[in-house]
Amino acid sequence: MNVVRAVLIKELKDGLRDRRALLSAFLFPLFAPVFIYGLMTLVIKQNTESEDLVLPVIGQDYAPALMRQFEEAGFTLEAFDGSPEAAVRDKTVELVVQVPEDYQETMANFELTRVLVIHDGSRNDTRTIVRKVRNLISNYNNELAALRLIARGVSPKIMQGVRAKSSDVASDEQRAANLLNFIPIYVLMAAFVCGLGLAIDNTAGERERRSLEPLLINPVTRTALIFGKWLAASALAGAGMIITLALCLAAMLALPIDELGLNFTLTAGQVLMLLIAILPVPMFASSLQLLLGLFAKSFKDAQSYVGILIFIPVVPTLVMQFLPIASSLWMYFVPIFGQSLMIKEILGAETIPRLAYPAAFITTFATSLLVCWITGRLLNQERVIQS
Amino acid sequence: MIEVSGLKKTFGDVVAIEDVSFTAADARVTGLLGHNGAGKSTSLRVLYGLIKPETGYAKIDGIDVSQDRITAQSKLGVLPDGHGLYTRLTTREHLQYFGRLHGLSDDQIETRSEELIRMLDMQGIKDRRTEGFSQGERMKVCLARALIHNPRHVVLDEPTNGLDVMTTRKVRELIAELKTLGLCVLFSSHLMYEVAKLCDDIVIIAEGRVVAVGSPEEIRAAAGVDNLEDAFVLLSEQAASA
Repeated sequence: MNVVRAVLIKELKDGLRDRRALLSAFLFPLFAPVFIYGLMTLVIKQNTESEDLVLPVIGQDYAPALMRQFEEAGFTLEAFDGSPEAAVRDKTVELVVQVPEDYQETMANFELTRVLVIHDGSRNDTRTIVRKVRNLISNYNNELAALRLIARGVSPKIMQGVRAKSSDVASDEQRAANLLNFIPIYVLMAAFVCGLGLAIDNTAGERERRSLEPLLINPVTRTALIFGKWLAASALAGAGMIITLALCLAAMLALPIDELGLNFTLTAGQVLMLLIAILPVPMFASSLQLLLGLFAKSFKDAQSYVGILIFIPVVPTLVMQFLPIASSLWMYFVPIFGQSLMIKEILGAETIPRLAYPAAFITTFATSLLVCWITGRLLNQERVIQS
Repeated sequence: MIEVSGLKKTFGDVVAIEDVSFTAADARVTGLLGHNGAGKSTSLRVLYGLIKPETGYAKIDGIDVSQDRITAQSKLGVLPDGHGLYTRLTTREHLQYFGRLHGLSDDQIETRSEELIRMLDMQGIKDRRTEGFSQGERMKVCLARALIHNPRHVVLDEPTNGLDVMTTRKVRELIAELKTLGLCVLFSSHLMYEVAKLCDDIVIIAEGRVVAVGSPEEIRAAAGVDNLEDAFVLLSEQAASA
């Protein structure tokens, strides 16, 4: 135990003095919330922007009644000249509405009149306004049809068949949490990023500096050495992860998320649950990093191996995005997957199965211990000792 | 006492040592002499418990290193082949770390550190981080951390390699001092005159085998030449052609 403590103290002291490595490690947690805030502000702005919409129209004089509908919905109409396709493609306008010259004529003959909506389907930012314009035209069509029926003494009710009525089972928190998909990714990634430098320096670095041999001639078990190194890297990774979590949550609370009609609140209980849920993650991350650090042939090798690990936290969210399966208990037994789910569920104020906490904690923690033990065994191999 | 018998070790197809046996007695300085690649470092690595031999054994005071590595290592002070230091730790912090790994209390470490700092003339560098240390300063830190637990057996792998005259002299003084303290000192070198000057017993290794053992006089007599260096070259060449 004293050996583990001695190694832990030494590695932390050594690691904390490496200012440059530390700075680059902790740039991630500091940068993440800024990114989240910026991105989310943009999303919110796009979703709520509706005032002062300019609508370029060709031939607005042909359909004054339809134009009135647009104006009532808040659009400012603007006569458009030139090639609408080219303008949309060049992104000088978001969309163009073109009323055909024979609008009145076809209308009078009860023929189908087509109003052209020219837009660029590959643009995400114009999707809302295009949908809005189409809905307005479609509503106008319904009104028109109803009026025609009334003129013939038929009740417009006759047109009513079946209509979909949507009932969203997601709570406001859940819908907000959907927007928060990247919080688990960020928080879990921080656990993989912040202790990375120390873990590599600890293993591959130690060997490259030729200080591994002097270390191994001490009368201690190699497992004890690894556990000390593991705890040091975990401590740093954990600190980074908690800072990231705190800053991400602060960014979420600061965001005007209610403008989306969503609700995001946070209680002290939720924060505590989050902390318990993610606690074993830095241990897991550091244990894998130490193993790869020792396994790698050189410092550079180790960096590229360990770099790949950073993407592990992205996997659960990606999987859930493409295979939207309901969460079931076995998922919590999978390290990182379990934690990723729990972060999302806690933020979404969903109920989590009671067994989820011990399941995720025990398997993740036990896996870390196992990996450390394997790493300790690896340190007994001559191939690994000699660079 | 250090006892090595019938060591053999191969790395892949390369036979690093074929058959190495020797003893190093207490209160004597034993020199392990051989060309680069003769098998000195490999023999010592087996001795300080870093690698396991295929055959044979290494014993420290009767304790087999392969059987009970930790007890054996606690009796050894080692300057290994790798001389790496932690550039962000000071001299004292190095001693503290290694002292703790040897299970010493902080008080013991404190007292012993002061002793070693005096012995090795490290007053000026004791609280400096080792980044930018000269070769000689680094060697002193390595030696001090090897001796922090006051071991009865000292194994030094090429302790004067690459050092300037002043530090080399310091290291030789230290070896002589350790001997007068009654320690068993074993060191390797490829420098004939150094071994001749310092050692009570000499073990010459060539091609992974011990080719001669004895006092400097006995070695000269065995080779039939007056000069120890000639004896070394002659014996090594004989082994190579055999």
